[in-house]
Amino acid sequence: MAHAEAYKDPGSPEEQTRRTFMANAVVALGGVIGLTLAVPLVWSLLPSSETSSDVWSPLTPEEADALKKATDKSPVRVTFNLHETNGYFGATDSEQFVWAVAATEAQMREQRPELFSTEKPTYPVVNLGFVIFSPICPHLGCRYAWNQAQDKFLCPCHGSVYDIFGKHEAGPALRGLDPLPLRDFQGKVEVTWIEYQTNTPQLVIQQVG
Amino acid sequence: MLNWIDQRTGALTQMKDFLTEDVPGGASYWYAFGSATVFAMILQIATGIFLCFYYAPSTATAWESTKFLIEKVPAGHFVLSLHYWGASAMIAFMTMHLLQVLLWGAYKKPRELQWIVGVLLFIVTLVLGLTGYLLPWDLDALLASKVAIDIAGNAPVLGPAVQQFLQDGTTIGTLTINRFFGLHVWLMPALLVLLVAAHLSIFRWNGPAGPPIDEAPKLKPGRFWPEQLFMDTVLSFVLFVIVLALAAFSPVPLDDKADPNNVTFVAYPAWYFLALYALLDTVGKLPSSIVQVASLFATIVGPTLLVVLLVVLPFIDRNPSRRLSRRPWVLGVTALVMLGAIGFSWIGQSNVVEGQLRAGIIGPNAIASPAATASTGTTTGGTGGGAASTAAAGASAYTANCVTCHGATGAGAPGAFPPLAGNPVVVGDPNAVIKIVTGGLTGSITVKGGKYNGTMPAWKGTLTNAQIASVITYIRSSWGNSASAVTEAQVAAQAK
Repeated sequence: MAHAEAYKDPGSPEEQTRRTFMANAVVALGGVIGLTLAVPLVWSLLPSSETSSDVWSPLTPEEADALKKATDKSPVRVTFNLHETNGYFGATDSEQFVWAVAATEAQMREQRPELFSTEKPTYPVVNLGFVIFSPICPHLGCRYAWNQAQDKFLCPCHGSVYDIFGKHEAGPALRGLDPLPLRDFQGKVEVTWIEYQTNTPQLVIQQVG
Repeated sequence: MLNWIDQRTGALTQMKDFLTEDVPGGASYWYAFGSATVFAMILQIATGIFLCFYYAPSTATAWESTKFLIEKVPAGHFVLSLHYWGASAMIAFMTMHLLQVLLWGAYKKPRELQWIVGVLLFIVTLVLGLTGYLLPWDLDALLASKVAIDIAGNAPVLGPAVQQFLQDGTTIGTLTINRFFGLHVWLMPALLVLLVAAHLSIFRWNGPAGPPIDEAPKLKPGRFWPEQLFMDTVLSFVLFVIVLALAAFSPVPLDDKADPNNVTFVAYPAWYFLALYALLDTVGKLPSSIVQVASLFATIVGPTLLVVLLVVLPFIDRNPSRRLSRRPWVLGVTALVMLGAIGFSWIGQSNVVEGQLRAGIIGPNAIASPAATASTGTTTGGTGGGAASTAAAGASAYTANCVTCHGATGAGAPGAFPPLAGNPVVVGDPNAVIKIVTGGLTGSITVKGGKYNGTMPAWKGTLTNAQIASVITYIRSSWGNSASAVTEAQVAAQAK
């Protein structure tokens, strides 16, 4: 190097000790800066803990009437207003929908025994004579739709097929459609929006942490 | 003048040092894929910077600013298209560079770390492709990213944490867009540039590997400047012309805004993920007892193993020979993987097209265009219990008479024409719908919280009772609506 005269003389032992100290100090101070900075930076990226599930969303009278048109042959797509938190926009109302099918508990026990044993949700699967299905395909989270001609729920993304009771019939999904809570509260029909982890055989609620 | 600058900066001397490099056996177009990939990266950075002048990441602005960029900004659509096709070109040329190094055995000692940095560059580039896909926030952006994020969430142990880190929470929302934006425009490009610098610096330390022979020291050295740099520039120019032509003749489409309530849209992955997409589809056809294991393999374990295999390749393949004839295993496995990737991509593309046909959509962005839906005649909505012919009749009557106002997806138009999809009146009492379609409707109404003030003509007389019955059946069973069919007799009773 053109400017490296100083390195030709190794210097006194005292100078060498001092240089070792300074070299170590460069590494140590650099490390302290890096680590001190890394803590708040990584911390800032931790997922936000705001969750909007476990809140009852009331249906309007029209929406409740639409729900009641559901039979065990033809499901109804029921829209409702979901009050949820969307980051820095705060609480927002957005239109959401679920699928309603008329079913008795006996029917569901027969068609979806897993919902009454191993994957039992914490709420009744059938209420008011209906089962409500989350519109999210339990495979990888696309939205499936009812196909009356084939008498099936079909998912357009990867071809999972479910019967009217949400029983998984074909395609890559690992479980049937996810039931959601429904109740009659002081004369108002209400549903709860829950997002389950997709592509697991069991019902696992998505939670931060 | 140049001399004056060089004396004070060393710029020319350093540039000369940089360009003075032996190329064993002389320059070759085979060596130009790497530099063409670097050129594509520069193209991406340049176009990406200009896109940042307009793009605004949030659920309220991402799609809107992209639409504005496309429709209102001079050359905005062209710059966006350059960025879109530039990404494809970068991935394509990077893959060819990787294959060339693989086939020629250039990863062998002493270039193991140069190769590993290259594998990291491959991953970072794919992450850039994946994170960029979400940013326009259209239907495909949402669905493809949702699937990708959910796949990550299924990884053993770290999966849920990775998923929540990517989403910033438990659902995809406005914070997800910001997160992907930060990854796509800062973190990943910064990593990319640093890794490219490392890749090139190690390359200069080791020197070029030369052709795949074992007598390399006997090769006559050629010059990097200007011979090799000329070939590099020619290939980069070819890449540029291809990207330019694609951007000009096949501009990037923007689908309708991301809407989780749209259930008719058929998502399609970027072409470089088609093979994985098809693999996932194929897994779904396996017996249910092994689907879980197989899908974990197809989505997580398989791709991870492939990357791990690439990383450890120089340490497994310790055979010092670089001759093609002495490396049957490496070449055989590479050929198999490539054939598999091409075959599965082909299957994936056919599956996407098949799914779109089934849903009555042609082409990636056809959902916004009524004409495309009209040409297929059928839709995914089903027949509402009627015969298939009734559904086709309803769809074609809808296309001929209703689509102008209510839209191909039943979305209506704000302020004037109410949506039919999810409209409680449409799926409610059939007699109420029949009354509106036969007798018309004027004045202000409120549907799903929106006010509409337009005129619905009376169709009695224009359409036959059978046509009215089929079109009502159609709108009650399409776009996620699923109410009962309406018969000709019901219409006749109302229309008297």
